[in-house]
Amino acid sequence: MAAGGHKRIVKELSEVTGDPPAGTKVRLVDESDVHIWEILMDGPEQSPYSGGHFKLLLTLPKEYPFKPPVLNFQTKIYHPNVSNDDKGSMCLGMLRSDEWKPPNKLSAVLNYARNLLIEPNPDDAVEGGIAEQYKSDRRGFEKTAKEWVKKYAGKS
Amino acid sequence: MTTGYAPPPSEEELAYLQKLSNEYEPEVTGPLVGELQPSTNITTEYARADPVYIKKTEALPHKYSNYRACRGDGNCGWRAIAFAYFEALARNGDKTKVHAEVTRLKSFQNILDAAGFPSEVCEDFAEELYDLLRKTAVAIPPPDNGNPATDVKALVFEAFNDESTQAGIITFLRILTSAWIKTHIDNYSPFLMGEDVFTYCGRAIEPFRHEIENVGINALFEVLLKPAGFSLEIPYLDRTPGDEVNMYTFNAEYPITTIRLLYRPGHYDILYKIEDVQQPVHTPHSISAPVYIGSFPHHTQDHTNGARGLDYLHMIPGVTLVDDISPYSYGDSGFPSPISTHPPAMQQSLSVHPIPAHPAPASAYAPPPLQIPTHSLGVARLPIQASQSQARTGPFRPSIWELEPSVASGPPPQFTTSIFRNSHYNTAHFLNPDFEPEQWSPDAEYVTSNNSGRRRNGH
Repeated sequence: MAAGGHKRIVKELSEVTGDPPAGTKVRLVDESDVHIWEILMDGPEQSPYSGGHFKLLLTLPKEYPFKPPVLNFQTKIYHPNVSNDDKGSMCLGMLRSDEWKPPNKLSAVLNYARNLLIEPNPDDAVEGGIAEQYKSDRRGFEKTAKEWVKKYAGKS
Repeated sequence: MTTGYAPPPSEEELAYLQKLSNEYEPEVTGPLVGELQPSTNITTEYARADPVYIKKTEALPHKYSNYRACRGDGNCGWRAIAFAYFEALARNGDKTKVHAEVTRLKSFQNILDAAGFPSEVCEDFAEELYDLLRKTAVAIPPPDNGNPATDVKALVFEAFNDESTQAGIITFLRILTSAWIKTHIDNYSPFLMGEDVFTYCGRAIEPFRHEIENVGINALFEVLLKPAGFSLEIPYLDRTPGDEVNMYTFNAEYPITTIRLLYRPGHYDILYKIEDVQQPVHTPHSISAPVYIGSFPHHTQDHTNGARGLDYLHMIPGVTLVDDISPYSYGDSGFPSPISTHPPAMQQSLSVHPIPAHPAPASAYAPPPLQIPTHSLGVARLPIQASQSQARTGPFRPSIWELEPSVASGPPPQFTTSIFRNSHYNTAHFLNPDFEPEQWSPDAEYVTSNNSGRRRNGH
């Protein structure tokens, strides 16, 4: 289904670009490669990320849809579920390979990521320290998150 | 870190390790579906395991002759059932049934809709399954066409070793199974230990890498195998006490065949009994091939196979050359009798005096026998057979010996080769109907052998 996988990606891309989930824009990094999507996601208003503009990379493995897409924050973000390194990877829940369901659609993936910005999941965190702060010192967490938005996620 | 003990890992380190463990994917190797192997290999594999396994695996090959390994990547149970399903269809050899399966599976669209699976997402996966079913139907040869199931087996084997084809099929079966469970909540929720059916399907059925569990096997059996007439049996090779594996069976109402899996904790392979593996014998030509019983005298005068340079084979009683042109000699005559299998030249000679041998009871009303055209084999033999069937009471068809007195009463053939001398065609052989034991005549021996005679006299 190599061709079938490609067909599905193209179909999903046209859906997502035609009717994008709230606050997101999608385009291909390279028009000739449908496997790497660039996502522009606005910080949701009800979150400390409000006002920020985040750039994400959605990479579809060649086995897609039988393996999950890989989601990386290229814009630094202070979040328990995004690794604080040069990868900025978000890998939990439906994005994990042992929980991935081939019928999942990429628009659902984008909604999932956006909902995580509104409501982080500290129990399945990649950044334990941030998760701890999120649970015990929400005010301090939000403060740092907002500082990072100003510092890294301003209008580019 | 100067002490001998490492400090307890910090939160970050723990989180990092957790992340590593989350991302760890065991390296799985080997084909997705392996070649057929003798199941004694399993015994060898467990020869040094603990005694329970040794006992159980030793008993295994007595019941199951072969097995086929499936790659343990979290899909092995699904893959094993899907592969065995296609194999059972191929073995069954009924094109119509395969097409019917496509129609039947398509009719499940209503439960997919009811379970909330959007059809535009499912149809790609479903198409992989339907496509392979259609190809299978095409590859199944018509019933009387030589060797069946060779091409179709290779087709199924290749398809299931193609990463994306089998992934699509497995995904659709997961969707179908999930939809089945979600639309039969009362049947399954008692087995979920309080878990909600939808949560269960989302956690254990739909995720691509999640191994099949008992509930999933049951639902997949109900939706895929049972209506197709395939029973399912799964011996469990585990550490429970006992000399033999525990057996779990799911029976179809009208079973056509049985699919067998081997369960070892966390893994499924496919098992075969010897009758599943053996190629069905589909060589009608050799089965009904002419066997020239009792016709040996004619071979001296009828060497239709002479051109092949195999004349000498006719000298051996019981050995005949099966003609490739046999359809000519028996296919069109409509007579199953061995007589009709003789080459034309022989048949002509056989049908010359049919009536005197066995006058038909109906001859008083019938025209004189002379009017029966003896030059036409088919017509000539017809009255013979009719009279035979009235005259005889036994279950056997007429033999050449009954029809042709000259054959039966002819002089015993003279044999010259040692093979013939030692065969039952020789009157000296005790199986010969005209058996005459050779009599020992001391006089003759004394005449020819003075030495032995002298010795005997000496006693």
